[in-house]
Amino acid sequence: MPTKPMLFTAKNLALSFTTGDQEVQAVRSCNVTVPEHAITVIFGASGSGKSSLLNVVSGLQKPTSGSLLYRGVDVYEQSLNELAYFRAHELGIVYQTNYWVKSLTVLDNVAMPLYFQGQSQAEAHRRAHEALSAVNMGQFATKYPALLSGGEQQRVAVARAIVADPPVIIADEPTGSLDSTNGDAIIALLQKLRDDHGKTIVLVTHNMEYLHIANHLLEVQDGTVTQIEEAQIPRTVKKMLGDAQTRITKLMEEHTT
Amino acid sequence: MMKRRTIKDRPTVQPRVLAMIAYRNLLQKRLRTLLTVSGIAIGIGSVYFLLSFGIGLQRLVANQVIGNQSIRTIDVKPTNSSIIKLDDIAVQRISEVPDVKEIGKIYYFPGSFKLNNSETDSIVYGIDKGYEQLTYLNLIKGELLKDTAVKNPIVMNKAALEAIGLGKDPSIVIGKSIDITVPLPKIQSQSKVYQRSMQIVGVIDSGSGAEIFIPSTEFRQLGVPALTQLKVGVDSVETVSKARAQIESIGLETSSPVDTLNEINKVFNYLNLILIGFGGIGMLIAILGMFNTLTISLLERTKEIGLMVALGARSVDMKRLFIFEALFLSLVGATLGIVGAVGLGWLINIVMNMLAAGRGVKDGFQLFAHPYQLVFGVIGFMVIVGLLVVVLPARRAQKISPIDALRRE
Ligand SMILES: Nc1ncnc2c1ncn2[C@@H]1O[C@H](COP(=O)(O)OP(=O)(O)OP(=O)(O)O)[C@@H](O)[C@H]1O
Ligand SMILES: [Mg+2]
Repeated sequence: MPTKPMLFTAKNLALSFTTGDQEVQAVRSCNVTVPEHAITVIFGASGSGKSSLLNVVSGLQKPTSGSLLYRGVDVYEQSLNELAYFRAHELGIVYQTNYWVKSLTVLDNVAMPLYFQGQSQAEAHRRAHEALSAVNMGQFATKYPALLSGGEQQRVAVARAIVADPPVIIADEPTGSLDSTNGDAIIALLQKLRDDHGKTIVLVTHNMEYLHIANHLLEVQDGTVTQIEEAQIPRTVKKMLGDAQTRITKLMEEHTT
Repeated sequence: MMKRRTIKDRPTVQPRVLAMIAYRNLLQKRLRTLLTVSGIAIGIGSVYFLLSFGIGLQRLVANQVIGNQSIRTIDVKPTNSSIIKLDDIAVQRISEVPDVKEIGKIYYFPGSFKLNNSETDSIVYGIDKGYEQLTYLNLIKGELLKDTAVKNPIVMNKAALEAIGLGKDPSIVIGKSIDITVPLPKIQSQSKVYQRSMQIVGVIDSGSGAEIFIPSTEFRQLGVPALTQLKVGVDSVETVSKARAQIESIGLETSSPVDTLNEINKVFNYLNLILIGFGGIGMLIAILGMFNTLTISLLERTKEIGLMVALGARSVDMKRLFIFEALFLSLVGATLGIVGAVGLGWLINIVMNMLAAGRGVKDGFQLFAHPYQLVFGVIGFMVIVGLLVVVLPARRAQKISPIDALRRE
């Protein structure tokens, strides 16, 4: 089967933080890829370095060493304005935490990526309404985001990530605060964006149920990123589901004794 | 392959959108914005108020002093020791000076008049048409000499009527006969006294000393050899000094209301500086308030700015956002301040006019002046101040790194 073209390529990419005399290896040197028009799922335990990896991929965090290529271009060789252009035109990002400009309505918050592309308010509003409808949040347009529930905010964040119709959508646990119905709807939307619009999706999720939509897996364990190609996925998923099963059984045993 | 673009350091966000974001943010912190705008309004308002008072007062004083004299005129007199007299030859030479448009001839002598059996001393002027044209005579009843058809006409001022107890109703003296006596200077070592019965045609309001005006031909016919004074009208204020120099080179002495005006302006320029100093204290407080507001706003919004940059905004856009906010505060504050100052001045002017009227001042006056240069100058000044104040916060906004900002708690 033909391999999909690679959109992102990490070359010996590593990220560490030094606070005082302590050094944290958030991402250990890795050589991984993100295929185009596919869903890449990043999974791993809490604190393993998933968000750190996403920050590097989304042009926000310069790696300590190594490089990140996007369509063959070294992302961090670019000037700050070029990086801004890259984020505004190529990426739609759902952050793990919800961030808003509090003085602006939901509609204007969703419209922001379009404003940063230089679009007029009327055009940006029109497209923001569409994006809100796509996540079933149309009726919240005139509300202020900070007043919405966590799940509602998460759906608005998804609308903001897709509003500019970027080729790449990066989502850090977009279903974290959602019930299964709304969570499933978001995952279905991401699948649709891949299948019907050819989007490249990078998704961090804790929810094992959603692993099956992945074309590509990146497992992160204590900063070490392992790549699992599409062909090996079913086996890995089975193994993980098996592990989860064992854990649940163990927990239940502990509970009963 | 993604094409490498060289991107200029140009903002991408449309100014209208940026203005909307700036406006929403200011609206979000209603109380703080209100306080900042009030501070600017009070600072700018006090500067404007004081300056408009300074300029108004300056104009008022200038009007009182210059009064009925046009500042395009030059008064010409013989020098104390001079042999050059204001005779026909001198008048002819002055009329040949370029820029001189008109010449008014004046004689004046101390004299006296008798009306209704009351007699009083008065200055007696002999004037011609040119003088009446160059001088604004405030006619309150009747007509001026140049307009009358009466044979031996005379115009007198209100002070002269008051001197004989007829100040109440000037209209009753129009058409009345009046006897004038003027002892003339020696003409060819002969003393002469001018004495004649004249008819009153007009009453003017001019100063507090008794003055009466008769046609200059009266003295000339008697052979009075030289005029006492000339009033010379020139094209424009700018040509006054040039024409004066040429007249002085003939050997005559000149003075001009421009001299007085310059003296007045000098005094008031100092006064205005002092007033600006006082207003400046208010301005300083306003500026500090604005700086404080913008800095707090920057600290509070570090995360929001980080978010916008993370979503693709450029740093210059964020700098601009702060500049817009500073401009908004400056413009609204300055406008409100000026509107308030104009309103306050208007009220004070009404009260002062009422007080003055109570003390017998008949004419209304304007204590405050609002030249458009002052209005736009003060607004422009505040805009520049706003732009200076925002430099630091805007620069800091431009330096915010999105990832650091978003991680802050
Ligand atoms: N700016 C930073 N400075 C220091 N340490 C950091 C910083 N950012 C992340 N870390 C550390 O790097 C490690 C990886 O963090 P990261 O947020 O990537 O984990 P994660 O996999 O996203 O976890 P979670 O599933 O809980 O979101 C953690 O140990 C974290 O404490
Ligand atoms: Mg995370």
